Amino acid sequence: MVITKTIKGAKGIITGAWSLLKGLFVTIKYFFGPTTTVQYPAQKLPMTERFRGLVDLHPEKCITCYQCVKICPTACLAVTHKEADKKKILETFRYNMELCCFCGLCQQVCPTNAIYMNKIYEISVYDRKKLYINLLNPERYSEWINPTVK
Amino acid sequence: MLTALTFIFMLTAAFAVLGFIAVSAMFLIWWERKVSAHIQSRFGPMRVGWHGVLQSIADAVKLLLKEDIRPARADKLIWWLAPFFAVVPSVMVFVAIPFGRTLVPRDLNIGILYIMAISSVCVIGVFMAGWGSNNKYSLLGGMRAGAQIISYELPLVLSIIAVVMRAGTPSMQKIVASQGSCWNIFHPDMMLVSVIYMISATAEVNRTPFDIPEAESELVAGFHTEYSGMKFAMFFVGEYTNLFIVAAIATTLFLGGWHGPILPPVVWFLIKTYALVFVWMWVRWTFPRVRVDQLMAFAWKVLTPAALVNLAIVGWLLLKR
Amino acid sequence: MNMSQTKDIRTEEFLINMGPQHPSTHGVLFLEVKLDGEIVVDCTTHIGYLHRSMEKIAENRTYTQFIPFTDRIDYVASMNNNLGYVTAVEKLMNLEVPERAKYIRVIVAELNRIASHLIGIGTFAQDLGAFATPLFYCFREREKIIDIFDRICGNRLTYNYMRIGGVQFDLPKGIDETIKQFIAYMRPKLDDYDTLLTYNAIFLARSKGIGVLPKSLAIDYSVSGPNLRASGVRWDIRKEEPYLVYEKMEFDIPVGVNGDAWDRYKVRIEEMRQSLRIVEQALGALPEGDPTVKAGRIQKIAPGEAYMRTENPRGELGFYIVSDGSTYPYRLKIRAPSFSNLALLPELVKGLKVADIICVLGSLDILMGEIDR
Repeated sequence: MVITKTIKGAKGIITGAWSLLKGLFVTIKYFFGPTTTVQYPAQKLPMTERFRGLVDLHPEKCITCYQCVKICPTACLAVTHKEADKKKILETFRYNMELCCFCGLCQQVCPTNAIYMNKIYEISVYDRKKLYINLLNPERYSEWINPTVK
Repeated sequence: MLTALTFIFMLTAAFAVLGFIAVSAMFLIWWERKVSAHIQSRFGPMRVGWHGVLQSIADAVKLLLKEDIRPARADKLIWWLAPFFAVVPSVMVFVAIPFGRTLVPRDLNIGILYIMAISSVCVIGVFMAGWGSNNKYSLLGGMRAGAQIISYELPLVLSIIAVVMRAGTPSMQKIVASQGSCWNIFHPDMMLVSVIYMISATAEVNRTPFDIPEAESELVAGFHTEYSGMKFAMFFVGEYTNLFIVAAIATTLFLGGWHGPILPPVVWFLIKTYALVFVWMWVRWTFPRVRVDQLMAFAWKVLTPAALVNLAIVGWLLLKR
Repeated sequence: MNMSQTKDIRTEEFLINMGPQHPSTHGVLFLEVKLDGEIVVDCTTHIGYLHRSMEKIAENRTYTQFIPFTDRIDYVASMNNNLGYVTAVEKLMNLEVPERAKYIRVIVAELNRIASHLIGIGTFAQDLGAFATPLFYCFREREKIIDIFDRICGNRLTYNYMRIGGVQFDLPKGIDETIKQFIAYMRPKLDDYDTLLTYNAIFLARSKGIGVLPKSLAIDYSVSGPNLRASGVRWDIRKEEPYLVYEKMEFDIPVGVNGDAWDRYKVRIEEMRQSLRIVEQALGALPEGDPTVKAGRIQKIAPGEAYMRTENPRGELGFYIVSDGSTYPYRLKIRAPSFSNLALLPELVKGLKVADIICVLGSLDILMGEIDR
C-alpha cells in the first residue's frame, strides 16, 4: 500500500516536472522571437480606411437636413441655418467632442456625404475649451496630428 | 593585530563590495525588465540610455524624491527598522562569497554556515514589515512570508550539508577548490541535491512560483504595501541582492565557482552567476503561483524527505570510499 | 495542551474588503469576505459601481440610436451585444435579413467570441499568478482580431456595426484573406496555450477541484454559457434555438466533467477551436448580395413584445423589448449572463482559502459592465 502510493507519487512528480519544462520551452521560444510592439511616438501605425476618428465637415456639401443632429445618440451636434430667398444656408455647426461617442451614425446617415469622420486619434488636450469645435472654421484641426492612412 | 595597512585594506574591500552590490542590483533590475519584456514579445525600457540601461538610475532618483508616508497607527520603531533588517543581512553575506582565486573579502573557515545563519535574519525584517504596517493585507503577507521562508530553510540546509560533506569543509574557497577537476553538478549523487537547492532557494527569495508574500493579485503588495520612497527601494534592492546571493552560492557549490579555461576567474564567476539568474527569471515569467498550503505541503512532504534520503546516499557513498 | 483545550481558545473572524479598486476583481466589484484564518466563512458581493442606467436611456432613444449603447454593455464582446439587440428588434418587427448579412454577422460574432475568451483566459492566468506572460500572449492574438474589425467597421472596441435589418458596411476587399491567415495563425497558438498553461502542474494544482459547481446548483441559479457547460449540461442556444445560420454550421459543443475552475477554463479553450471552425465554414459559404441598410429610417414598430436570446461568450444574453407603437421602446430589459453567474460566488467560495476566491472569480469570467448596465 505504502509502496504503490510512493510510486504513484513519484510518477506524479515526474509528469508534473515534465509539464513544467515544456512550458519553459514555449516561453524561451518567444524570448528569441520578434517583438510585436512599436515604439510610439517615434513609430506610429497607420489607420485603416474606415477608421472613425473625429467628426469633420465639408461645409459646401451640407444641405442642413438635420439628419445627423437627429440621429446622434448623445446630441453632440448643434446646427442652425438661415433662410435666404427660399434656400437654406448653413449658419453654425458646433461639435461637442466631450459628448461624442464615435459611433459613426452621423456619417452613415448624411445624404450628401458632407459630414464624415477623419483619422485623428490623438485627441487629448490640456484645455477643455478646445473640445468644443466649430466645424465651419477652416483651421479647426490645424493643431492636431493627422495620421497616415493605410 | 590591526595595523593601519590591514585596516585600509579592509575598508577598500568593504567599499568595493558595496559598490559592486549597488551596480549589480541596478543591472539586475534592468535585466529582469528586459527578459520579461522579450518573453512577452515586447521591448521593455528603451528610452533612457542605450536600450534603457540607465532606467534603474532614473527609478532610483524618482524613489529618492518620493514622499515618505507613514501609516497613522503603525508601530513606529518596528515599521522604521524593518527595511534595514531586510537589506543589511543580505549585504553582510558578501563577506564570504569567493569572486575569484583570491578575491574574497574574508575566507571564513565556517563560510557556508555563516552565510546560512546571517541570511535567515531576513525573515525578521519581513515579519516586522507585515506587523508594523497596521494593515490586514500586510499582516497576511508577513505571516505567509515567515511561514514560507522558515519551512524552506530545512531542505535548503539539508542540500547544502550534502555538498559540505562531500568537500569536507564549510569554507567556500575550499569547496570551490575541490571542484577543480569536475564540477559538483556532474556527480550523479549531486544532481538531485542541486535541484532541491534551486527550488528551496526560489522560495527563500520569494520569487514566483513561490512569491506568495507579494501575491499582487490577492494582497495588493503584501508585506511592503505601506512603504514608499527609499524604504520601498531598500526592500526592492534587498530582493535582487538576495537573488544574486542564491545564484552565487549555487555557482560556488554546484557549478565550480570561478573555475574556467581562458578568461580570468572573476569573469567566469560572473558569467555563471548571471546565467543562473537568467534561469530564475525565465521561471518567474512562465509559471503561475503556488497556493500557501500547497507550498507548505510541498516543502514538508516532498522536499525534506527527498533531501534527507539524498543526504543518506551521499553519506553512504563517502563511507564506501 | 490537548485537543479539548484548543476548542476553547477564542478565535475571531476577521473581515477583509476586497474593495472596488483591486488588481483582480474584474471591474469595480466590492467583495466583503469573512475569514477564519485562511478559510472563507462568508462572502457578500456589492455591485452597482458601474451602473449607467442603460435601460432607462433606451426609453428615450430610437431603435437605431440605441445600438451604440449596446456596444458598451459588454465592452469586450461588442459584436455579440449588437447582434442580440438587433435580432430582438427584428423579431419584434418580423423583419427578414438578407442571407449575406446573416453570414457576415456569424463571422464577426464568432471572431468576437474568440477575442472575449482570450481576455477571460488571460486574466484568469494572471489572477493565478502567471504574472503577465499568458495575458500578453492573449492580447497579442486579440490584436489581430481587432485589426480585422478595424478594417471592417472602423473602430477597435465599440463597433456599432450591426443595423436593424443588416449590417453597416459590406466586408472590405481582401478581408477574407486576412481572416484565413488569422485562422492559420491562431490554431498553433491554442496548442501553445495548452502546453504553457492547461497541463502545467502548478496550474492544475491551483484550479482542479476548486469551486466545483454541481449540475443542479447551476441550473437552479440560471447559470449559462461556458460555466454551465463545464458542469456537464449540454446546453448551447446556437444548437437549441438556432438563430442566423447556425443550423447550417457544423460544430461541437465542449462539455466539462467536474464543473471546477479548470473545466471552465478548458471549455473556453475548446470553444475557441470550435469558433475557428465556424468562421472557416461561414467564409467558405458566403453568398453574394447587399447586406447594408440605410440608417436614416426611424422605425415605428407596432405594439407588441419580444424576447430574443443569443449566445454571448459569457452565457445567454437576452433582450426583452416592449413596444407601444411609438418610435421609442416602452421598456427594454437586458438579461445579462454575468449577473446570474456572479450570484454563484458566495455559494462556491465557502470553505475555500483566500487565494481560491480570486481563482473562482476569474474562472467565472464576469464583466461588471454587464452586471451593472
